[in-house]
Amino acid sequence: MVSAFKNSWITFKSIFTGMGVTIRHFFGPSVTLQYPDERAVLPKDTRAKLYVNIDDCIGCNLCARACPVNCIDIETVVATSDVDLGKTSTGNPKRFWLTRFDIDMAKCMYCDLCVHPCPTFCIYMVPEYEYSEYDRTNLIYHFSNLEPAMVAEVKEKAEKEAAEKQRQREEMMRKKAEEAKIKQMEAKKKAEENNSGENDAQSSKPENGDP
Amino acid sequence: MIEAITENGERREMTINMGPQHPSTHGVLRLELVLDGEVITRVKPHIGYLHRCFEKYAEKMDDYAKVIPYTDRMDYVSAMNQEHGYVVAIERMLELEVPERVEYIRVIMAELQRIASHLLGIGAFGLDLGAFTPFLYLFTEREKILDIFEKASGARLLYNYMAVAGLMRDVHPEFKEEVSDFVKTFRPKIKELDDLLSYNQIFIKRTANIGVLPDKVALNYAASGPVLRGSGVKWDLRKNDPYSIYDRFEFEIPVGSGEMGTLGDCWDRYIVRVREMEQSLRIIEQAVDGMPDEGDVMAAIPKRIRPKEGELYARTESPRGELGYYIVSDKSASPFRVKARAPSFVHLSMLPAISSGALIADMVAIVGSIDIVLGEVDR
Repeated sequence: MVSAFKNSWITFKSIFTGMGVTIRHFFGPSVTLQYPDERAVLPKDTRAKLYVNIDDCIGCNLCARACPVNCIDIETVVATSDVDLGKTSTGNPKRFWLTRFDIDMAKCMYCDLCVHPCPTFCIYMVPEYEYSEYDRTNLIYHFSNLEPAMVAEVKEKAEKEAAEKQRQREEMMRKKAEEAKIKQMEAKKKAEENNSGENDAQSSKPENGDP
Repeated sequence: MIEAITENGERREMTINMGPQHPSTHGVLRLELVLDGEVITRVKPHIGYLHRCFEKYAEKMDDYAKVIPYTDRMDYVSAMNQEHGYVVAIERMLELEVPERVEYIRVIMAELQRIASHLLGIGAFGLDLGAFTPFLYLFTEREKILDIFEKASGARLLYNYMAVAGLMRDVHPEFKEEVSDFVKTFRPKIKELDDLLSYNQIFIKRTANIGVLPDKVALNYAASGPVLRGSGVKWDLRKNDPYSIYDRFEFEIPVGSGEMGTLGDCWDRYIVRVREMEQSLRIIEQAVDGMPDEGDVMAAIPKRIRPKEGELYARTESPRGELGYYIVSDKSASPFRVKARAPSFVHLSMLPAISSGALIADMVAIVGSIDIVLGEVDR
C-alpha cells in the first residue's frame, strides 16, 4: 500500500518535472522558420546545384572522369588552326570547342568530387536549391553556348582539317615507306653485288673499283 | 489466420507483419511476428528493401576516392563516422602519414556526428514510445550540429568531407568558436533530457526489464557499441583499439548497470547513449584545445591511390558500434573487394534472441533501443 502511494508520487513528480521543461521552452525563442515566407541564409559554398562557367572551360574532361555517377556529359571538337579561342581567366589556352556540356542534376549526388580536379575552377556548386521540375528531362542543364548551326560548322571544319591532316600524314607515311623501300632495295643490291663480288672476285674487280 | 482460438478450442498462432511501412521500424524493415495472443513467440526480420549494392559499386568505381560518397549513404545518420572508417582503412593500406590538423578536425567532426546520431536515435526511441516533445527538442540541437557541418563541408546530411590523408576543404575560420559555443549550450540540454525523458516514470515503465540482452548473448552475437555496453561490457574501440588520435583524449566508457531493472534492458541501452554524448563533449573540448590553427588540410591527399597487393580489416567505433571495412587490393585503381561490417546488421540479427516472450507493444521499444539504420543493414 505504502509502496503504491510512493510509486504514484514518483510518477506524478516526474511528469511535472517534464512539464516544467516544456513550459520553459514555451517561453523561449521560436526556432521554426516559416519556409516560403522566410528563408535560411545558406553558406556561400553550400552544395546545392552545379554551375559551369563555360567561358573558362578548356574541355579537359577531368570533371566527367571524376564523377562517380556519370552525370556530366562533355563533347569537344578540336579547334581548327585558323581560329584562336583565346585564354581562360586563369591563363590556360583553350584548344577545344565545347559542343556539348550537359549536367544531369537528376543524377547528381552532390558529392563535390568534380569541383576539385578542375584546373580552371570553372565548375562549382552554387547555393541555389529551388529548382524542382515536373519533367525530369528539364533537370538536364545545357551549359554549352554554341548554336546548333555553329556546332555543325565547327564539326565540319574540324573533320575537314582532320581529314586533310590524315591525308598529309598518309602521304608522308607513303613517301617515307617508299624511300625506305628504295633504300632497302639499294642495300640489298649492294649486298648481293658484294656477295657476288666475293664469290667471283676476279671478274667483278674492275666494277668494284669504280667509285 | 485471424482467429487465435479455433472452434475446437485449440490455441492457434497468428502471424502478422510489422512494416515495411510501419512508422517505428526506422526505415523499411519488415518484421514477421508470430504471436500467441499478444505475446511474441517468434520474430523474423526481413531485410533488403534498401539494398543498393554498395560493395559491388565500390569494385566498379575505378578509384578508391570515389567510394567515399557511397560510404556516406550506408549509414546516412552518421555519415562522418562512415567516411572516417573508410579513410582510416585506406590510409593504413597506403601507410600514409596524416597531418595533425586533419586528425583533430576529423575527431571533432566524428564526435559531433556521434552526438547528432545519438540525438536522432534517442529522439526516435522516445517518439516510438509516445514521447513526442523530446524528439522536437533534440532535433533543435541536432540542427545546430548540422549547421556547423554545412558551413564546413557544404552539405547537411551526406558530407563527403573526409578524403584520404586529408579533408575535401578546410573548415571555416569561426569553426572553433562555433564548436565551443555548441558544447557550452548543449551541456544543460542533457540535464533537460534527463528531466524530460530519462527519469520519467512512464518511460522507465516502458523500457526497464524489456528486451533484456545478457552480456554473454551479446558477446556471442558479436554485438558492439552502445548495445554491448548497455549489457555491462566495457568495450569501446576508441579505448581498446585506438585509431586516429583517440589515444590522446581522456574520456570514460559509460556502461549499463541495471539501475532501473535488469542489466541489459532497453533503458540501459538508452542511458548509455545519453552518457556517451557527455563523453563526446569532453573529447570535443579537448580536441578544440589541441587543434593546430595552421596547416594545409589538402596538401597530403595523394593524386593516385594504388595500394599494394593485399588485404586489410580496419575497424572504427561508429555511433552504432564496430564499423569495419575489409578491403582487398589487387594493385589496380579500384578495390578488388570492399566489405563493410555494419553494426546495425549484427544488432538486427540479434532481435529474435531478445524479443521472444515480449508483448507486441514492447517490440517497438526493443527495435528502437538497438537503434538500427536500415541503410546500413542493407547497404
